Amino acid sequence: MPHTAVSRSHAIRRALIPAIVLTLGAPAAMVVHATVAAADESAADDAAPQDGPATGTLMLHGQGTAKSLPAVRLGTDMDVTVTGQVARVRVTQAFRNTSDTWMEASYLYPLPQDGAVDSLKMVVGQRVIVGHIQPREKARATYEAAKSSGRKAGLVEQQRPNMFSTSVANVGPGETVLISIEYQAPVAQVNGTFSLRLPLVVGPRYTPPHSLTSEVAVADANAVTAAPVLDPALTGKANPTSISVHLAPGFDVANLISRYHRIDVAGPLADRRVTLADKTVPANRDFVLEWRSASADPDLGLFAQHTAKGDYVMAAITPPANLDGVPRPPREMVFVIDNSGSMGGDSMDEAKASLIHALGTLRPQDHFNVIRFDDTMTRLFDHSVSATPDQVALATRFAESLEAQGGTEMLPALKAALEDAGTGGGNDPDVLRQIVFLTDGEISNEREMMAAIGADGGRSHVFMVGIGSAPNDFLMERMSTIGGGVYTHVGAPGEVAAKMMPLLDVLSHPAVRDLSVRVEGGSLDLTPARMPDVYAGRPLVLVGRSDKLAGTLTVSGRIGGKPWERRVDLASALPSPAIEKLWAHRRITDVEADRALGKLEDAAADTEVERIGMESGIVTRRTSLVAVDETPSRPAGARLTREELPIELPAGWDFGSLFGQDAIKTVPATEGSGDRAAMQAQMLELPQTATGFLGTVGKGLALLLAGMTGLALLLRRRRA
Amino acid sequence: MNAAVLRVPGRIGKAARGHGLAALLLLALCLFGVVEVGRGLYIPAKAAVAQVLLDRAFERSRIDHAPHKPWAWADMTPVARLSVPALGVSRIVLDSGSGQALAFGPTLLPGGAALGQAGTAVVAAHRDTHFRFLRDLKKGDVIFAQTREGVERRYRVTGAEVVRWDGYGVADAPIGERLDLVTCYPFDAVRSGPWRYVVHAQAVTQ
Repeated sequence: MPHTAVSRSHAIRRALIPAIVLTLGAPAAMVVHATVAAADESAADDAAPQDGPATGTLMLHGQGTAKSLPAVRLGTDMDVTVTGQVARVRVTQAFRNTSDTWMEASYLYPLPQDGAVDSLKMVVGQRVIVGHIQPREKARATYEAAKSSGRKAGLVEQQRPNMFSTSVANVGPGETVLISIEYQAPVAQVNGTFSLRLPLVVGPRYTPPHSLTSEVAVADANAVTAAPVLDPALTGKANPTSISVHLAPGFDVANLISRYHRIDVAGPLADRRVTLADKTVPANRDFVLEWRSASADPDLGLFAQHTAKGDYVMAAITPPANLDGVPRPPREMVFVIDNSGSMGGDSMDEAKASLIHALGTLRPQDHFNVIRFDDTMTRLFDHSVSATPDQVALATRFAESLEAQGGTEMLPALKAALEDAGTGGGNDPDVLRQIVFLTDGEISNEREMMAAIGADGGRSHVFMVGIGSAPNDFLMERMSTIGGGVYTHVGAPGEVAAKMMPLLDVLSHPAVRDLSVRVEGGSLDLTPARMPDVYAGRPLVLVGRSDKLAGTLTVSGRIGGKPWERRVDLASALPSPAIEKLWAHRRITDVEADRALGKLEDAAADTEVERIGMESGIVTRRTSLVAVDETPSRPAGARLTREELPIELPAGWDFGSLFGQDAIKTVPATEGSGDRAAMQAQMLELPQTATGFLGTVGKGLALLLAGMTGLALLLRRRRA
Repeated sequence: MNAAVLRVPGRIGKAARGHGLAALLLLALCLFGVVEVGRGLYIPAKAAVAQVLLDRAFERSRIDHAPHKPWAWADMTPVARLSVPALGVSRIVLDSGSGQALAFGPTLLPGGAALGQAGTAVVAAHRDTHFRFLRDLKKGDVIFAQTREGVERRYRVTGAEVVRWDGYGVADAPIGERLDLVTCYPFDAVRSGPWRYVVHAQAVTQ
C-alpha cells in the first residue's frame, strides 16, 4: 500500500485547511467544501489513471491474462511426415519445471479438426511410458489416482475435435517431462493445391451466457477457456515451437510455399524436407504449407490399408472443373460479418476487405443483405434487396464503419440469415440462396450452431470464411459441410483477393449435381454417409471399410447438364498405414453430424463415439489417452502446485479490445448495459461507501476552534 | 472630563453591545461545532453498536439457520460473518445492499453470488468504518466466512485493484467460489469520488 503515507499526509493537510480558513470566518465554509472536493477528485485521479492497469478490467473473468512467464516452461516440436494425401504428425511437448516445488501443468492446444490422435508416450529421463486409451472418466480417474500417489502421469483429453489438453502431474523441481502424441490428418486439396495446416494456438473463446445451463455445460465451457492468455509483451518467450516436415506425396513437388512462416527446403523433389528458417517460432499463428504437383494436377488419389480387422480405403476424386458453359442463375446472398471483440486488430480489417470484395461481385439480378453481429446484431435491410449500385454502395459504407467490440453471439445472426429464406429473392427454385459467414469462430457453443443449420438450413448453402491467424477450423468445416458449402481461410490482409476470388467462383455453382456413388464386385461401408456438395476444384473424399477390398467404385453425377462418371479400380490402391484411423475419425464425424441434426440421442451418440474410440484407440470426446509411471517420484508430504500454462494471443489480435480495457474507455456511459457487459461479465454498480464522518467531525472541530478562539480574543479585549 | 466621562460609557456601551453580539455569534459557532462533532462521532458509534446487536442476531441465526432481525424496525438481517484472524477483524454481513444497511454493517450486493456458492460474492462496506481494514489486507491473507446456513469457507486474498464504480463486473460463468470485498477509494479522502477499491479472494480447501 504505497498510497497510504501519501494519503494520510493529504488528509492531515485537508483537515488543516478548513481549520485555518474557518478561524477567519464561518461564511467561507461552503467555498472551502467545494475546494476540498475538487482537490480530492484530482488526487484520486492521480492515484489511479483511468487507462492504467490499476483501473482493472474484470471483463473476461473466465479467461484471465498471464503477466509473467509460468513456472513450468513448455517447448513444442512438430515432426510431420506426408505420404500420399495423409499427414502423420508427432507433437512432442517438453514440460520443464523451473521452480523448486513439485508441479502439475496443463496446456490447451489445437490440432487439425480432422486429426485422429492415437498415440501417447511420456518420457521421464531414460524411461518411456506408453499411454493407453480409456473411456474419458476412467482415464481421468487413473490420472488423478497416480497424481495423488506421487507418481508421474500424463493425460491427453479432447475438449473439441480441434482442441486438446495435455496434463502432466508430479514434475519435480528442475525436471523435464516429455509428452509425445501422434496424430494423422488428411491433406486438403483445392484446385490442385495441396495444403497442410498445423494449428499452433487456440484463440480465446467466447461463451454465450445462455449456453451455461447445467454444471456439465459450465465445466465444458471452463475446459476450453481455462488457459490464461499471455501478455503480448512476453510474446515469443513462452511455448516456442519448432516444425519439420518430410514431404513425400508420391509425385514431384512444385510451388512449395509456407503461407505465414519463413522456411528452409532441402532434398529431392519427390522427397522434400522442410524446416523453419528461424528454428523456433512463437505459437501464435497457424503454420500452413502448400504445394502442387510438378506434372498435371492429380484428379485421383487412392490409398488402402489391409489389417486383421478388415481393409480400409480412401479415394479423393476431383471432378473436372469446367464452368465455362454453365449458366449463372440469379443468387440471393446473405453476408454475415462478425464484429465481436475477438476480431479486433487485423482480423476486422480482413473481414471488412473480404466483405467489400464480395459485394463488388454482385450483379444487378442478384439479391443480397448484410447482417453484422457481436453480442447484438443488425440487419442492414429488413429483407434481401436487389443489388443495385446504390444499395451496394450503402452496404459498402456499412461494412467500412464496423468496429470490433463485444461478445460473440453467433446463433441469433445465423438464425436470422437462415430464416430470411423465401423473401426478397423469391421462392424461385433456380435462385441459389447462399449465406457467406465471415468470422473467426471463437465460440464454445459450436454444437448449437450446427444444430441450427441442420434444423433450418432449408435450401440455403452456408459458406464459411475463416478470418485471422488461428480461426476455429472445426466450427468452420462442420458448418460449411452441414450447410452444403465450403470453408475458405483468409489468414493475412494480403490474402483477401487471392482467397475470395476462388470462393466467389465456387459460390456461383456446385460443380456436380445429382452425385451418387456405387460399388460393383464387392461391398464397401462408406463415409460420409450423406453425399456432400462438390464444388469446382475440390475433391470428393470418400473413406470406406470392407472385409475384402475388391471391385470398382463408380462416382457419377451431372456437370453442366451433361452426365459425368468416374470409375476407380479399388485393387489399384497404394498402401498407406493411416487409413484405418481416418475411417474411425470419419465415423465419429458422421455420428456427431447425426447428433447435431437431431437424428441421434445424446446418450446414444456418446456410447457410439466411445465404442469407436476404444476400438480404434483414438482420442475422442469420450476417450482419452493416459500414461502412468509406476515408480513413485514425489515424496509423501511434498506439495503439488497446479498451473494452467498460458497460451499466446493469436497474431494480429488486439489485446485491448479483447480484454475490455478499451471497451470501458470508448463506450459512453449513456449506452445500454447490454453493450457494456461485453465479454461475458455482468456489470455491477458499486455503492457509495464512505460515511465521511471524519470530515464532519473535522468541520465541527474547526468551527468549535474558531468559536473558542473568537471568544478568547473577546475575553482578553474586555479584560484589557 | 465630563465630556470624556460621558464619552467613555457611550463607547463602552457600544463596545459592550458589539461584544455581546460577537460573543453570541461565536457561542453559536461553538455550539454548531459541537453538534457537528457529535453528528460525526455518531456514525462510527452507530456502526460499532450495530455490529454488537448484529452479532447477537447472527448467533441466533446460526442456531436455527433462519433470518433474525437485529432490532425490531430493522429492514435487513445478518447473513454471514467474515473474519480476518491476522488483523483481529470480525464483521457481520447484511443481506440488503441499500445505503441504509451499509450504515450498520458490510452488505452482500444483490448482483453477486451468495456466499458459499459458485460465482463471485461481492461484499461492500464503508471505507472509514467496517472496511477500513481492507487497506491492510495483503495477498495471501486468509479470510474466513461463516454463513447462517452453517457453511464455512476459507478464502485466500489473490490481489486488489482500483476500479471505477461503473467499471466493475463479475463473470457470468461461475468460475469457482470467489469473494470480492469492495469499498471506496482512496481510504483517507474527505469527499467521495468515483473510485472503488476491490480485494479479490478465492475459496481454498483446507
